[in-house]
Amino acid sequence: MLTALVLAIWAYLCIYDILGPCFFLGFRPLIAGFVAGILVGDVQTGMMVGGTLELMALGVYTYGGATIPDYTVGAILGTYFGKAVGFETGVALAIPAALLLTQVDIVNRFLNFVFVHRADRYAEEGNATAFDRMMIFTSHIIWGLSRAIPVFLAVAFGEGLVKGVSSFFEANPWFAKGITVTGGILPALGFAMLLKILPVEQYPAFLLIGFVMYAYLKMPLVGIALAAFAIALVFQQLKYRPKEA
Amino acid sequence: MAQKKLTRADLMSAFWRYVFLFQCGWNYERMQSVGYCFSILPVLKKTRPDPEEFKEAFITNLNFFNTNPVVGAPLIIGAHIALEEAGASLETTEGLKVGLMGPLAGVGDTLVWALYNSIIFSIGSVMALQGNALGPILVILLVFFPYLAVRYWQFFWAYNQGTNIVAQLGSGAIQRITELATIAGLIVVGGFAPSIVRLTTPLKWAREVVVRGEKVTQTVEVQPQLDAIMPYLLPVLVTFLAYWLLKKKGWSPTRVIVVLVIIGFVGGALGIFG
Repeated sequence: MLTALVLAIWAYLCIYDILGPCFFLGFRPLIAGFVAGILVGDVQTGMMVGGTLELMALGVYTYGGATIPDYTVGAILGTYFGKAVGFETGVALAIPAALLLTQVDIVNRFLNFVFVHRADRYAEEGNATAFDRMMIFTSHIIWGLSRAIPVFLAVAFGEGLVKGVSSFFEANPWFAKGITVTGGILPALGFAMLLKILPVEQYPAFLLIGFVMYAYLKMPLVGIALAAFAIALVFQQLKYRPKEA
Repeated sequence: MAQKKLTRADLMSAFWRYVFLFQCGWNYERMQSVGYCFSILPVLKKTRPDPEEFKEAFITNLNFFNTNPVVGAPLIIGAHIALEEAGASLETTEGLKVGLMGPLAGVGDTLVWALYNSIIFSIGSVMALQGNALGPILVILLVFFPYLAVRYWQFFWAYNQGTNIVAQLGSGAIQRITELATIAGLIVVGGFAPSIVRLTTPLKWAREVVVRGEKVTQTVEVQPQLDAIMPYLLPVLVTFLAYWLLKKKGWSPTRVIVVLVIIGFVGGALGIFG
């Protein structure tokens, strides 16, 4: 019960962080899983689950407020359950948990309209004090609880369920195989979301250059990032060169 | 410019309000509106001592607002404060907010999420998977200090630039930053996508060939054949499928996830992929 409470508080903090401070980006699965690992006393599992999910979710962000799978809660639960049964099972549990909680995020983002309507009322009254109080004490509660409650319930009452799930995995290897392949292709969504906000049709060549650097030249990612910056600079220098007389 | 009405304490109050609560209360109806209003409120109190005027500004600043919270929002708030202090009308400040939030969201999302975060988080994850706790710790340090510095700098730069900012950013600077970020972003995504998206096939079939007059059964694996056409062909195809559904078909990310889960799960369970 104590663990459930501690992890629920951590889930709350992870979500609150991205709502403002951005001090540690706890909503990213790497961070959420790492600290969850420290909290349950198994840093290794936390890092394995968090790192695996992070690579799946790299590039998946809430552009313009889009809803994405809840890898944060997935990493925390995956770490907690992975501690007992191995990190692979932890990851296999984290993915469906993350997908399931997608719906919770939509409800959360919808319910938050109460704050804007109360704010309208305070503004009509010119009551800045009441507005400030609402912002400081309550504006993050729906966000926070929408993550903390599922974590608490899953950790407090999910033990038997998880044992059942993991023995089912052992008995049915095809199921685990399906989950593994799914985990491998889910990042495609992250990249698709990135491509959607980038002008792909205007500059298809640059996408191709990046692909060639990785697929054929086998360059490490940091090298690609540095080269990308250099190519963009050169492109602009040529484009904006003052016209010669 | 009119006489300074704001002290450094007022500015810091707006800055810390922005840092601690900017996206709290985010909702589908007006997105970051309450967080924006909360950040700017101490300034409005000082610049508009008349209660009716204050009320009007309070209501107006609850309008729809959404931009990148790290690169973008502090710049707009800083510039807004400078205009507010100079006695600008609500139309002017709303114009500034609406004019900058869209373009800066694009720059910020590309710079912060697509470029910077993808790089530090992929390095951190690889270290974590090797069992090295320095990976996540390094990522936290590379988030905490640069983020805070970049937000503080934008906020005060925009404030000090004052009313010039719209002219400055409008005169091509913002387009150039956007272009730089998007080009670099495209190249990085081009390299990152095949490095992260994993999809291979274990399919193979047997065929009989005659080698020096003897019949030999030879196994043909599909994956090397695909690799000969183009490495990472399957990950590229699945990424473009997701992109096509999102962009051309206008699907929501949630619906695309369902499709990807079905492809991955059924394909993996049946042994087509894996």
